[in-house]
Amino acid sequence: MIDQSSNRAWKSFAWAVLLVTVVIALTPYVWMVLASFKNRVDLLSSVPKWSFTPTHANYPAVFIDKEYWPLAINSVLISVSSTVLCIVIGAPAAYGFARSDFPGKEDLFFFFLTTRMAPPISIAVPLFLFFTSLGLIDTIYAVVIAHTSFNLSLVVWMMRGFFAEIPREIDEAAMMDGRSRLGAFLFVVAPLAAPGIGATAVLCFILSWNEFLYAFILVAFDGRPLTVGIPGLVTPHGTLWGQVAAVAIVATLPIVLFTFLVQKQLVRGLTFGAVKG
Amino acid sequence: MTNRTPSPRGMPLLDRGVGPLLMLPATLLVVIFLVGPFYYMVYTALTDLSFADAGQAGAFVGFDNFRKLMRNDPLFWSSFLLTLKFVVIAVAIEFLLGFALAFLIFRFVASQRLLTTLLLIPMMIAPVAVGLIWRLLLQGDFGMLTFYMRKVGLLAQNSAVLSAPDLVFPTIVAIDVWQWTPFVTLIMLAGMMSLPRAPFEAAMMDGAKPFQIFRDVMLPLLRPVIALVLLLRGIDAFKEFDKVFLMTGGGPGTLTELVSIYAYRVNFRNWDLGYGAAVTFMIYLVVLILCSVFYKAVYWSSRKPAAAF
Repeated sequence: MIDQSSNRAWKSFAWAVLLVTVVIALTPYVWMVLASFKNRVDLLSSVPKWSFTPTHANYPAVFIDKEYWPLAINSVLISVSSTVLCIVIGAPAAYGFARSDFPGKEDLFFFFLTTRMAPPISIAVPLFLFFTSLGLIDTIYAVVIAHTSFNLSLVVWMMRGFFAEIPREIDEAAMMDGRSRLGAFLFVVAPLAAPGIGATAVLCFILSWNEFLYAFILVAFDGRPLTVGIPGLVTPHGTLWGQVAAVAIVATLPIVLFTFLVQKQLVRGLTFGAVKG
Repeated sequence: MTNRTPSPRGMPLLDRGVGPLLMLPATLLVVIFLVGPFYYMVYTALTDLSFADAGQAGAFVGFDNFRKLMRNDPLFWSSFLLTLKFVVIAVAIEFLLGFALAFLIFRFVASQRLLTTLLLIPMMIAPVAVGLIWRLLLQGDFGMLTFYMRKVGLLAQNSAVLSAPDLVFPTIVAIDVWQWTPFVTLIMLAGMMSLPRAPFEAAMMDGAKPFQIFRDVMLPLLRPVIALVLLLRGIDAFKEFDKVFLMTGGGPGTLTELVSIYAYRVNFRNWDLGYGAAVTFMIYLVVLILCSVFYKAVYWSSRKPAAAF
């Protein structure tokens, strides 16, 4: 429908647009990476410095001298625990949604979505009071529980589709072979859904790792993850941008790597299973 | 409309009662830690609870907070309108740019996994980090972007975008566009790739021009995905908090005080919890409405075989 040469011109145009967009998307991040390797003079230079003698001093300065390393550990503990809980609690529920039918099922399914869509700020105050009365405030348990409940709906919505794609005959065959219902789910269906479960788990991890508001409100000192530690480094007078950048890089690098890991399932995760990707 | 008919393969597999049982732990957790607090918030909205004033210990005041909110709080309404403006402008730009990019990739570049994945980095990294990155770029004295903007004359010598009253709002919109346009591209691209071929072939056989095919075949087929993208982005943008909070804290003055930042200020700066609950309830209401539109428009229609994805 378009002749050859104009097609080729469009092709180059499309490539040019794509490449420029990638550059625009990445430059700010690259600038932050560079900043984390700059000394104070290079950082505060009024003419942007693209080449400089790199220093790694910012990393130990903030993680060891300012004792930010426990925040990284908190981030890992919070994200891993909430992800494991999410999958252990959410996957059976998703399997139930995919394999059973009862009045009100779709309403319950929609109910899960509404819990996900609720603005964190509307739940944060009561949760803050609730955890205070339980004595869990300022511990990572509070954040783990908050993240688990908040991300559960994503697991339920995403995993239902993965289970629905596995034919019911598989369950039936496993049960004919003498497996119990639970055995069929654990040893036959779940392994078949493993890629989906993995992708869902990575997405849960990313969401928990990146989350700010709940963690910011629920922990102030001991249980702080990296996201909550970042604002504390930005002060009205004399922010040490090299150190801020170092924390930001440590807080984002795992996510950049994970993005490559789950890119195939990302569409499904980001649309709550509505678009298959 | 609801999809309650048994599956075509016959009766559902699980015995009666087993399905709900499997859902019980998840439901309980969500009810205790999200729904419970939600109702507590609704109750708090009817009291005068405040941590800042010992005289306001949480006495029941009926709808006083909502009355004040409706009639007597210009700050709430200006932040509400600002948020609507933010959502409409940012999502519109993100959609147009993201759709155009998706179409270019779909039509002329085909599958380019590495580059499209690189595009996703701005929206995958923590929003707090995004706020920080842009704060560094837009610093008044040594910001990289500030320097180049001044050089090409986009910015006056001694001003900085994040503290300039006329520039700060467009800037947070632009940063949201930078962060979320790839989301639209990714979802639209997936939608385009899963379109059936037959309608396009039929249109070409009938001699339709490329633009006609785009307008009369492709757009209608993509409608469910477009609705989905707009709603998901709309809901998310309405809740925007992290990066704006990090970059401007709502300032200068209240020029970028989105409604969630206003709610944060009332609750956790003024500790006016009763009134703060009324404010957050309003936010919740708007999101709930958008959310049910999302469910009706997108999810149900996508389960009917007629819709194509």
